Amino acid sequence: MLQGSFSSIREAFGRTLVKLGEEDSDIIVITADVGDSTRASYFKEKFPERYFNVGISEQDMVNFAAGLSATGKKPAVVDFAMFTMRAWEQIRNSISRMNLNVKILVTHSGYSDSGDGSSHQSLEDIALMRTLPNMRVIVPADPADVIRGLPVIMKERGPIYYRMGREYSPPITNGLDYKFEIGKAYVLKDGDDLTIMGAGVVLWDALKAAEQLEKMGISTAVINLETIKPIDESTIEYYARKTGRIVTIEEHSIYGGIGSAVSEVVVKKYPVPMRFVGATTFGRSARSERELLDYYNITDKSIVNSALELIK
Amino acid sequence: MGKGGSDGIPISLEELKKLQEIAERARKNVIKMQFYDQSIHVGSSLSSIEILTTLLFRYVRESKNPTDKDWLILSKGHAAPALYAVLHEKGLIPEEELWKIQGINGLLQGHPEVYIPGIDMSTGSLGQGLSFGIGVATGIKMSNGSGRVFVIMGDGEQDEGEIWEAMTHAVARKVDNLIAFIEINGFQLDASTQDVKPKEFLHDVWKAVGWETFLCDGHDISSIVNSVEEAMKAKKPAVIFAKTLRGKGFTPIENSKKQRASPDVTRKFLFNS
Repeated sequence: MLQGSFSSIREAFGRTLVKLGEEDSDIIVITADVGDSTRASYFKEKFPERYFNVGISEQDMVNFAAGLSATGKKPAVVDFAMFTMRAWEQIRNSISRMNLNVKILVTHSGYSDSGDGSSHQSLEDIALMRTLPNMRVIVPADPADVIRGLPVIMKERGPIYYRMGREYSPPITNGLDYKFEIGKAYVLKDGDDLTIMGAGVVLWDALKAAEQLEKMGISTAVINLETIKPIDESTIEYYARKTGRIVTIEEHSIYGGIGSAVSEVVVKKYPVPMRFVGATTFGRSARSERELLDYYNITDKSIVNSALELIK
Repeated sequence: MGKGGSDGIPISLEELKKLQEIAERARKNVIKMQFYDQSIHVGSSLSSIEILTTLLFRYVRESKNPTDKDWLILSKGHAAPALYAVLHEKGLIPEEELWKIQGINGLLQGHPEVYIPGIDMSTGSLGQGLSFGIGVATGIKMSNGSGRVFVIMGDGEQDEGEIWEAMTHAVARKVDNLIAFIEINGFQLDASTQDVKPKEFLHDVWKAVGWETFLCDGHDISSIVNSVEEAMKAKKPAVIFAKTLRGKGFTPIENSKKQRASPDVTRKFLFNS
């Protein structure tokens, strides 16, 4: 636990996408003028004939991809999470409604576009995307998760929203040996008194919090809820029953996001007390993503405080 | 601007008559549909009858291979009743379904859905069809297929930003297998198009950004045929501006903002026509 070095999730993403392009000539990458920033441009270097920059036009990008998929191609829309939301209605009315084989692979999610401020920080996208019929929503934890999961994502038929950050990527799953499956949650650490559930880079804080809680004698499980939709109901129910308390953490609004998704399962299967750590306001500019997570109290300390509220 | 018709009519009088008869039957069925559901968009549908008839009966080729078939995308999805009526003429939709339009147990939805026979794209939210058409046309070209893509839009629809995104995109992709129609009937939901936003510059803009542009009378099948024949020769994306009348042929609402008439008025019209 908590071993390995920090790296870049978008680098892992760009390199993995090229590898997948070598294996499948139907994969087409489409971006709205953010090829370099997302590292989609690595695909362009290798396969220029299968790479389209549609310009700064997200709505057109989404329906262009929908049209390509209708002819049997496997388009991957690569964009900033924030600006993909601009085309949410196109994603709803074309991709989800027709259940088309389009992958929406976004970077710069959460606070990861730290310097650009609130206009570029997506804290609502999981909520928006998980409401859509046919759409699956997946949030990898770190570069190792991307290398493990993206090949599975691209082979799967139908629409998937795959949400990544930018540069800040603490090691979370790199030491683990498991095969990624859509719809499955992964136990990063087992425990008996409390469960922390979340997805993305903030699982780093979850693991740190678990270490601190263990020192206090509180046996803490940490679950990587990589697939937000369809969510792994059986794992959530199992840990609700086993530990009786759940804290969720997300780099996203607590309204409609991962905490909401978990609580929808918990109230149905086995109600237990919960606490939610995540965003409640728009973001702001900062020098780094870490500064923002600290500023908005999306930290190991907040998890520990929430856990202690539940334990007392 | 190119204009069809200079070389005569490339359609036999026999075929022309046949298409006109189909269009008239479809027109009457659309008018009748409002007896069953008072909320369908009759005016916008009657505006599209001849264009849909001409494309579906003369140009759109079927194939099981998505890159060898021709695609018809009704981006102005509220004209769905017209599309259903013409697809009924093709034998794809049973007559009884026409009368169940928008009914809870009916097949035909208020706007096109791909699970309805003959529908290539689920539409209904304006501005989305052209981008999808560019994607299909690009996929066909990448696969060396023979398919062509027809997209039908309205003039009010041109307010949507996605159309402007797609307009330049089609030129960048060089999709010469794409033919777009823009119906100019002069009305959108709330008012005349000119009262809402200016539209008279549209064809100049489309031409300026690199489209081959054509004009036709959207209710004259020979004029539509002429423009499609010319558009198919274009080496770049082609757009046909089709002058149409909202409510064409249904005098109680023709060329007005009205989408439909009362059952009594409709009954009298059908009885006298």
